Amino acid sequence: MAKTILAVDDSPSIRQMVAFTLKGAGYEVIQAVDGEDALEKANQHTVNLVLTDINMPRMDGLKLLALLRKLSNYKTVPILMLTTESSDDIKAKGRAAGATGWLVKPFDPKRLLEVIAKVIG
Amino acid sequence: MTEMQSNSDNIDNQFTDEMNSENSDHALCNAEVDEYFMNIKSELGQVDRLISDAVNNLVINFHYISKLTKTHHEMVLVIEKMASPEASKPILELLDKQMNIADKIEQELEMAITSLQFGDLVTQLLAHTTHQVEMLNMELQRVDREDNWRNGKTALHTIHEGITKAVNIAKTKNNRKPVVQQGMQMGDVELF
Repeated sequence: MAKTILAVDDSPSIRQMVAFTLKGAGYEVIQAVDGEDALEKANQHTVNLVLTDINMPRMDGLKLLALLRKLSNYKTVPILMLTTESSDDIKAKGRAAGATGWLVKPFDPKRLLEVIAKVIG
Repeated sequence: MTEMQSNSDNIDNQFTDEMNSENSDHALCNAEVDEYFMNIKSELGQVDRLISDAVNNLVINFHYISKLTKTHHEMVLVIEKMASPEASKPILELLDKQMNIADKIEQELEMAITSLQFGDLVTQLLAHTTHQVEMLNMELQRVDREDNWRNGKTALHTIHEGITKAVNIAKTKNNRKPVVQQGMQMGDVELF
């Protein structure tokens, strides 16, 4: 059975590129436009991995990360941050909030798939 | 009406005229500054719309080319299977070349996935710049409202200090730049 990835980004082109890459590798992809949308979808579906942007309207990625980690069924689900942000302080915030890894945009499809395979097997 | 009274009236009128002129200058200056920044904001918005439109079109093209490439790849495989083992060498060579071309197009498409993310980076930078312009406008308007430099009571260095302060406040209100990338090379990856 294909593993499901929740891809969260307010940029439609990024969502499409992420979905294209992941679907091409056989993953099921659920798309969300911001943190609030993602939280709603995370509660409705069983998700094996969350890939989220940080700077988004309504609810940003760090807030989403913190809220997901409070949910019992998301305590161990890998959450990868895919963002333009690369400063050490914001990475430290992500790490402290429970992020599994940090990918700086623009992503390379092969590298993204390698990282995902590594964290969800 | 005595001459003194007339002079006094003239001075009063002159003062009132100056006050009116000062007020209208004040309002006009604010309006000009505001209009100037609004124009910059509007132009940044136009750039954002143009880029978003271009990215949307490129993504549509990308999906279409990707579908065609997949179909092409599959067709070459089918033809290769259909070709009898005794098929002429030139035909087999041609099929081999076709397969190589299909593979190369797929590799190029993968690279295009990285490049096509430029829209997101540019949009975030434009939003950041627009916010900075708004902040600077607000702070300059505040300096303009607070200082009475128009009536000549404020020294030039105070005006200069006021503007410097406004720029610094605008900077500190929005100092975190969300995009530091200078090119479209793949970003770093780190697992915690």
